[in-house]
Amino acid sequence: MRALVIDDSRTMRRIVAGTLERLGFETLQAEHGQEALDHLESGEQVDLACIDWNMPVMDGLTFVTKVRANPAWRNVTLMMVTTESEHGQIVRALAAGAHEYLIKPFTPDAIRDKLDLLGLVPVEEPA
Amino acid sequence: MTATTVELDQVHAIAQEVFAAMVDGDLGLLLPWDGALPALEDAIVAWVDLHGAWSGRAVLVTERPTAEDLARALLDLDDDEAVSPADLDDAFGEIANVVGGNLKSLLPDPGTLGLPQVGAEVPPVAGAVRAQHLPLSWRGRLLVVDVWVNPGGTSTTSTTGGTR
Repeated sequence: MRALVIDDSRTMRRIVAGTLERLGFETLQAEHGQEALDHLESGEQVDLACIDWNMPVMDGLTFVTKVRANPAWRNVTLMMVTTESEHGQIVRALAAGAHEYLIKPFTPDAIRDKLDLLGLVPVEEPA
Repeated sequence: MTATTVELDQVHAIAQEVFAAMVDGDLGLLLPWDGALPALEDAIVAWVDLHGAWSGRAVLVTERPTAEDLARALLDLDDDEAVSPADLDDAFGEIANVVGGNLKSLLPDPGTLGLPQVGAEVPPVAGAVRAQHLPLSWRGRLLVVDVWVNPGGTSTTSTTGGTR
């Protein structure tokens, strides 16, 4: 599976991408929503997008809205990964089309649990 | 809103949670500073502004070598591995961003969060008052979390420091 990690912080991109890679994902990264849209428009196949909210150029909520407006990307699972933790913000993101919502700070286990809920944790080989 | 909207123990709890999840993997490694506060040499400051009915700023201050160790922990680098200036600013700024974001969630009318900035000193905000001042010990080294409130409610956006 392939994940697109969208965050203006390279630190956070590295943390999220590292966690996903340890779970078996191949990852792409983008610094903001527009760069992430560029990836999708160029034909990159993505199963999961992990999206920060507050970013320059294009914020995460706008990205979610644009992805959901394009039927070609209906199979992309969208998970917000953000410090925006107020109930109203979570409702806005889910209403715009996000499937899940993870609040920073998070642990690697929290990411795994969310992916499990989404049915996206790659099956592990038995030891 | 008053300057006591965010309590000191709430600031400490947020900082502890952020460090436990992102840096240490343990809730008990960010402790209240015990004793007199030493002067910070070669300080580095990261801050994020909160805008809205409650306007303010969350600020983290420490010495550059401490911030470099924080960046190493966040980026999973070896103890002797060099930290680039860009990685240092980004990592320390992200800690301020997450602390500020979680502080914002405590406010009755949260408003919006600015992008984190990093510099050698935090630019002053006219009319702002320091609502909380929390000196902490991380690995025995001083790290201070301050919360500033602008009672006038005007934007605290500044143009100095480095945005990422």
